[in-house]
Amino acid sequence: MRENFSLASTFLVPESFNREWRRNRLFLYISRRLSISLLMLLIVSFAVYVIFAFLPFDPAALTCGKNCNDPGIIEANRHRLGYDLPFFTQYFLFLKGIFFGRTFGEGAALISCPAPSLGYSFQQHACVTNLIGEALPVTLSLAVGALFMWLALGVGLGILAARFRGGLTDRLSTVFVLVGTSLPTFLTGLLLLVFVVIKWKFIPFPEGNYVPFLENPFQWIQILFLPWLTLAFAYAALYTRFVRSSVIETSNEDYIRTARAKGLTESVILGKHTLRAALAPIVTMAGLDFAGLLGGAILTESVFNLPGLGRLAIKAVTDIDLPIIVATTLLAAFIVITMNLIVDILYAFIDPRVRVA
Amino acid sequence: MARVKKSTSIAIVAVVALAVLVAGLAKMSGLGSSNKNTITYLTHSEIWTHADPNRNYTGQHIAWFGSYMHRTLTAYARAEGAAGSAVVADLATDTGRSSNGNKTWEFTLRDGATFEDGSAITCADVKYGVSRTFATDVITDGPTYAIGMLDIPSAADGSSVYKGPYATAKNDVAAYDKAVTCSEDNKTITFNLKRAVGDFNYTTTYLSFSPVPKAADDGDAYDMHPVSSGPYKIEKYKAKDEMVLVRNENWDQASDPIRKAHPDRIVVRFGMAEEVRDQLVLNDSDKNSMSLDAILPTNLPTIFDDAGSTKPEFAGRALNVYDPYVNYQAVNVKKLSCLDVRKAIFYAKDFAALIKLSGGAAFGGDQADGVIKPLMGLDYAKVTGLDEYKPSGNPEAAKKYMDAAKKSCPDVYARVTDPKRGITFDTTISDTAKKAAGIWIDAMKKNAGIVAKFNFLEPGAYYSVVLDATKQGDLSAGGWAPDWANASTVIPELFTEGGGFPLSQNWGDAAYKAFKQKSDAALVEPDRIKQGKMWAELNQYAIDQMWVIPGVFSKTQEVWGSGLGGVYFWESQGAPSFGDIFIK
Amino acid sequence: MSTFPTMQPNQNAQLIATVGRSPRQLAWRRFRANKIAIPALVASLSFVLVAIFAPVIARIINVDPNARDGSAITDRGQTIGRFGGMSWDHPLGVEPGIGYDLLARLMYGTRISFLVAVISTLATVALGLLIGMVSGYYRGRVDAIFGRFTDFLLAFPSFFMIIALSAPMIQRIERSGVARDNGARILYLIIILVLFGWPYFSRIIRSQVLSLRERDYVIAARALGASNRRIILKELLPNLWTPVIVYVSLSLPGYLAAEAVFSYLGIGVQPPSATWGLIIADSTKYILSEPTYFFIPAVSLILVVLSFNLLGDAIRDALDPKSES
Repeated sequence: MRENFSLASTFLVPESFNREWRRNRLFLYISRRLSISLLMLLIVSFAVYVIFAFLPFDPAALTCGKNCNDPGIIEANRHRLGYDLPFFTQYFLFLKGIFFGRTFGEGAALISCPAPSLGYSFQQHACVTNLIGEALPVTLSLAVGALFMWLALGVGLGILAARFRGGLTDRLSTVFVLVGTSLPTFLTGLLLLVFVVIKWKFIPFPEGNYVPFLENPFQWIQILFLPWLTLAFAYAALYTRFVRSSVIETSNEDYIRTARAKGLTESVILGKHTLRAALAPIVTMAGLDFAGLLGGAILTESVFNLPGLGRLAIKAVTDIDLPIIVATTLLAAFIVITMNLIVDILYAFIDPRVRVA
Repeated sequence: MARVKKSTSIAIVAVVALAVLVAGLAKMSGLGSSNKNTITYLTHSEIWTHADPNRNYTGQHIAWFGSYMHRTLTAYARAEGAAGSAVVADLATDTGRSSNGNKTWEFTLRDGATFEDGSAITCADVKYGVSRTFATDVITDGPTYAIGMLDIPSAADGSSVYKGPYATAKNDVAAYDKAVTCSEDNKTITFNLKRAVGDFNYTTTYLSFSPVPKAADDGDAYDMHPVSSGPYKIEKYKAKDEMVLVRNENWDQASDPIRKAHPDRIVVRFGMAEEVRDQLVLNDSDKNSMSLDAILPTNLPTIFDDAGSTKPEFAGRALNVYDPYVNYQAVNVKKLSCLDVRKAIFYAKDFAALIKLSGGAAFGGDQADGVIKPLMGLDYAKVTGLDEYKPSGNPEAAKKYMDAAKKSCPDVYARVTDPKRGITFDTTISDTAKKAAGIWIDAMKKNAGIVAKFNFLEPGAYYSVVLDATKQGDLSAGGWAPDWANASTVIPELFTEGGGFPLSQNWGDAAYKAFKQKSDAALVEPDRIKQGKMWAELNQYAIDQMWVIPGVFSKTQEVWGSGLGGVYFWESQGAPSFGDIFIK
Repeated sequence: MSTFPTMQPNQNAQLIATVGRSPRQLAWRRFRANKIAIPALVASLSFVLVAIFAPVIARIINVDPNARDGSAITDRGQTIGRFGGMSWDHPLGVEPGIGYDLLARLMYGTRISFLVAVISTLATVALGLLIGMVSGYYRGRVDAIFGRFTDFLLAFPSFFMIIALSAPMIQRIERSGVARDNGARILYLIIILVLFGWPYFSRIIRSQVLSLRERDYVIAARALGASNRRIILKELLPNLWTPVIVYVSLSLPGYLAAEAVFSYLGIGVQPPSATWGLIIADSTKYILSEPTYFFIPAVSLILVVLSFNLLGDAIRDALDPKSES
């Protein structure tokens, strides 16, 4: 459907009528996006399940370790874990488990994982949901901290570079952008570890394992500081470049020149006008990057030994722990889809032009 | 201009403040309050592979859990050297009484042995513990000697008719009740075996014969909270975090002559980065700490000199000894049915280059001549017929055998030299394996003209591939240690159909029948010295047929903090005797 | 006479010499004026040349990627001599533990990395062009379907799926007989990179096409009765070369880095072949004991990616001067 509501037309319609119309349009828009997202989630979950169900190895054979030369054991495991059921039944049971919980086995060895059950990992002897629940706060801490750092660094540097175009700050920011986008994160992490921790000893070896923020905030910061820096370095570069060009572009607009002529100071102009114009795309980018990071900052977690979702996922791949592999993939997809939805809705609030049918 | 300075200076201040904060915080954090009387173990693993006694198999796990938590009927003496291979009584009053030509074994339980909640350990508990081994679909990875030895009939598909304590259908519980009986006073347990086993009291040193209280058993999840019968019990066990053991007040030293309980607390820290783990112990940051893993090869030069001896600064804190393991490359004899080719592979191998990957022979070990290690004593005799061996490979000998193969088995010869087919080598993915692959491929090609291809497998998938005759490659990396000081746990396990680790698939071989007969005879031979000679003979035969390519008689290194004493290598378990470690 | 401004010779010359220049020539001039552009171009080209001529260069310098030099490492596997065993025989030193020549392995490693990167880029561009043009030109239903499909693919946690699917998918490829061993692995990597790479590029093409199709010459062509296919191929495609060139120059380093990352994680090409990711992964164990062995490949990777990024930036600046200062 073509866009028939241009910005101009909204001004032509009477105010009260316009507001109600806008609210209805917004509601329609949100509900449409929501239903599409749910559908997408369902399709993705099915696709993930299909992919991992039809792989050329036998999931039952992977559960029995060294005793696997006995076909009786493999068959017993297959039955106990439900791998002998038809495919659609398995998928349905999996979905059902998410809403109602699921049990495996029988008798004294009965395993019960309450809703939302994503399966049971026999290698780690725990319900997958619990494992994810323990790993999620770590990745969350990593992602949130990195988000703040890269926004501060990226946006700040971008503004400075635009403000002092051609100057030293600008050139430095260009170098920063280039190096940041050229270094793979695992190299950045390794180099930081080698120089900052080992050679120059600015920060001592994080001797402790990860602790939650509430338990020991100081150690929490110490452990996460370098990983934050690693991620911030890589992501900030993109924002610097974007903010810089966006600010420069907006600076040349007529209404900015008017504001300047009116006597407003540069910082006020920066804060009130130019940044606002760049706000929407920054929000979009940040939201999507954050979602991607939540899905598992695999490399950073590996280099810095953080027990987050990324490490959980990689270990599952090495152990070929199918329930965890399926669950983490689904979770990552869920986060991305949700974030897309949130960003789209936010965008709709910020920019009324977006509300196309 | 003033505004510029302001914004830049704010930025500078912020960065500096953050740096100072972080650096200063570093002092405040660090290793938690280390109790003076706590021993800390460090490991890269995220979790114990198994804490469930019925699922423990590796020597290190048995040594650790056997020292601190799980008692069994009999145990190895806690002593250095050969004395550490002697069997002594643990939960039982003696080392078992056999009758009926070693087919019936009886053990009487001591008084005063209790679980951590104070309840007495009875025969029923031991019987229940052993029964769990039969639930092979739930209780995985443990040794399955009980299944192979107890007098319980097998079903048509070869599995036991008794399926363990969880299965409700098609489960012949009566058969188990007949094979393992408890006396009226619930203190004497009797095992009825289906064949004579002269060293059954060695088998009972395995934790799979530990008592388990039925009420506390929840199958697979028991692995996270096993009940203790030893000096310590679990206070906390969280994967990727730590395990904390505290004293078990209900443990009575009077009922337990073989264990000591030195520290007040034991902590295991999981998920440590390897370099961090090594540095912590090397720098002696926590004097009462010890690494549970192998030392990174790059850190070995810090501790040991080129000859393998401990450097003075680490005196009393490190050891470099032979472990009980023999590494080898198992040959799928069905696929690689040509003896000449197998011999060519052995002589083409570049051992010298391979051992450099482990830090050199002083740390990696020596070229093996079979699957029985010299330190087994009675069972070892030097294998003859390998005189053409050279450490960097012997191209002439290899070519000689390949030329012979051209005539004796042209099909196999054609396959192994064909660049499109060649031989496949199964191994788990690891950095060392990747480098070793380069050496193997190069040496095979140069010295024998054989094309080698590697099949890297994830550790989780390894066993399901190599134990499956259809999926296994020509060669598979294998390692084996005797379960106790008798090659009866090596030769039959590796080379007979139905053994625990028969990667060689050698029972199609023409001479297998004679081999099996000799092996069966050796199993029941009462004269230990004669038995030892029989095993050595069988070892010689297996190598004559090159059913495995002999690999390495491996060594291991341990390092610990300066505050720990009483550390020695417990040969029977291939790990330190953890229970004897104390804080100086 | 003196009231007329006399024309200076250079002014005269300038008047005569003012001639129209095609956009391409203008772009090239802007490119040349950019100070980093030429060095970046030279660096990028030399990496490509090294990749193509690696065997020749190796023979000239007399290094061999598969030769294990036992004399360059001690019995314990450490390199002999300073800087990781640098010598005339081994200009960049040797790999500890095994004694491979590092320079040779880095050179041969570029071949595989570039192979993956180039093919992936070409395929992504082709697929993205096709779908983007069709979506943007036909719009309506077709666009909606492709759009949903694109969203669907973008929702997948691609990085993780690549890792999780590698072992079984490579088995599948080998079983089908299309390729074996490292060939199968390279094929898998290319397929999966392209699969998750084209949605992004097709979106760029689509938005370009959406604006292009309203241009006069397209409307004119349609009025003249040209078939859709002709319009797409003859009118739209030639005008899309700007985003294509920019994307190619920026995605090449991206795929190079991706290949390194996947080798580092253990997916992709397996030893004894050498790729930069494999070498870097191995070198992380030796950061403290053999720092040269870590720094040389790491710095090399950074240099390659950097030069291509710089080149891509310079091209983009030259083609579209409004986008940067």
